[in-house]
Amino acid sequence: MSPYPLWLENLLQTLATGIMVGGTYALMCVGLGLIFGVMRVINFAQGDFLMLGMYAAFYAFTYLGVGAVFGVYFGPIVAAFLAGPIVFVIAWFLHWLLLARVSGTAAQGAEAEGHYAQLILTLGIALVLQNGGLLIFGSWPQSIRTPLSNEAWFIEPVFFNKSRMVAFCVALGVALVLYLFMNRSGYGKALRAAADNPDAAIYMGIDVNRAHRLAFAIGIAVTAIAGGLVAMYYPFQPYVGLEFVIIMYTGVVLGGLGSIMGAFWGGMTVGLVQQLSTLVLPIQLQNTAIFVVFLLIVLFRPQGLFGRSVERM
Amino acid sequence: MLKIEKLQVSYGGLRALSEVSLEVGQGEFVAVVGPNGAGKTTLFKSISGTVPVESGRITLDGADLLAVPPARRAHLGLAHVPEGRQVFSSMTVLENLEMGAHTAAGKANWEENIAQIYQLFPRLKDRTRQLAGTLSGGEQQMLAIGRGLASAPRILMLDEPSLGLAPAVADDIFEVVQHIHQERGLAILLVEQRVAEALESCDRGYVLESGRTVLTGTHETLVSDRRVQQSYLGM
Repeated sequence: MSPYPLWLENLLQTLATGIMVGGTYALMCVGLGLIFGVMRVINFAQGDFLMLGMYAAFYAFTYLGVGAVFGVYFGPIVAAFLAGPIVFVIAWFLHWLLLARVSGTAAQGAEAEGHYAQLILTLGIALVLQNGGLLIFGSWPQSIRTPLSNEAWFIEPVFFNKSRMVAFCVALGVALVLYLFMNRSGYGKALRAAADNPDAAIYMGIDVNRAHRLAFAIGIAVTAIAGGLVAMYYPFQPYVGLEFVIIMYTGVVLGGLGSIMGAFWGGMTVGLVQQLSTLVLPIQLQNTAIFVVFLLIVLFRPQGLFGRSVERM
Repeated sequence: MLKIEKLQVSYGGLRALSEVSLEVGQGEFVAVVGPNGAGKTTLFKSISGTVPVESGRITLDGADLLAVPPARRAHLGLAHVPEGRQVFSSMTVLENLEMGAHTAAGKANWEENIAQIYQLFPRLKDRTRQLAGTLSGGEQQMLAIGRGLASAPRILMLDEPSLGLAPAVADDIFEVVQHIHQERGLAILLVEQRVAEALESCDRGYVLESGRTVLTGTHETLVSDRRVQQSYLGM
């Protein structure tokens, strides 16, 4: 018998799960937040790139031999990392081929700053990825099979599922690297400058369109890594992106549109709310709880939890 | 050095600049003055490439500037300090200056330039870690000019540096600009609504009205021109 009352045990357990799940959500949100922050493009296809990340990790693990070489414990993590560069290349190419035509300097002076064209284009990319995925990957749900997802560390009185814990730690690490990249490196600072004031960035000699391409590809790659991590414990099929794109947008809006690190905390909050809601609501309603919190935030703090409310002109 | 010939720019069918010609020589201080809506900012934006040019030529050292992508133009030695400062408000003062030093010349002379910038604007030195958006208007203007200087430019283009500043602060800014010009022999292209101050410090000037150059000449001819005296200098 546990010395703790049952309600406390439940609370601690859901808190722990919420934080672990929130960590991976946070990483997804940071990817989306980076893209929105720099490009001001609403990317409907973000969830489908996450799906690509899951399949990239899956195929790397099973067919590229990552699983065989690194084993069932480390293999999934290596595979998730590999999903990053693979999807990065796809995103870079798609930006060059399609998105660059309706965003950045190409959108200057266009109707509604090119937002209509961007919405239609990213929605189109989402549809192509979903149905292309159905053709190529099939509709059968897959997962990266690792004993990690059936094992747990037990710290009285809470169980830490190993796959979730590992995913959480890796997600945190990747987010930290991205944070350092954005704040310490010349490239990262140039991205922030292009996000802050595109015209002034051009006056500084920063190629804004290239900055956008880099931000898009990094944002997608980061989300893809998060997808690869989630693939360890979450079965997926080509339409899985729809489930996550909602979580990502909620997280990014919660954190404050345009704030890249705000998106991290927004994603974390979504994970916590989702898990904690199961204490009082039926589990089927966990996403409803997210929307309720989302609406409350939009009503009472529309600049987001971490967004700055006033900017001096 | 910088030469503009018969520049024509339109916005949605409305002509903003028609047949504007202008020249800035090595180490010269050139002022472009005129009322609001005369096309001064458009002139600057077409030099920097953020508005499309309809016809005419812009050359830098004889090379066609219009063939150069906008983001490459800073690397050729043009530093555009835009109207309304446009500092990167979510970045620190130091990061703003670093962004200015994005050019090869700016990177190569970073240590030296930053020391000079801090000497010109000691207030920036006290606030290196502060977010640029939280600075006062005058400090933001100092930062915008400092950011331009950090690129180690050959021409410093200043668009309405006095805009929205208290008169005393604006005077300080003009003084620093004159100082930069005299001490370093840096060529300056200044666009201003405050005609008296602008004409006082320039070598040559152009008066722009409704997108046309209506008058041009040296400092002396402009200041002694009857029309300029009546319309702009209140004499």
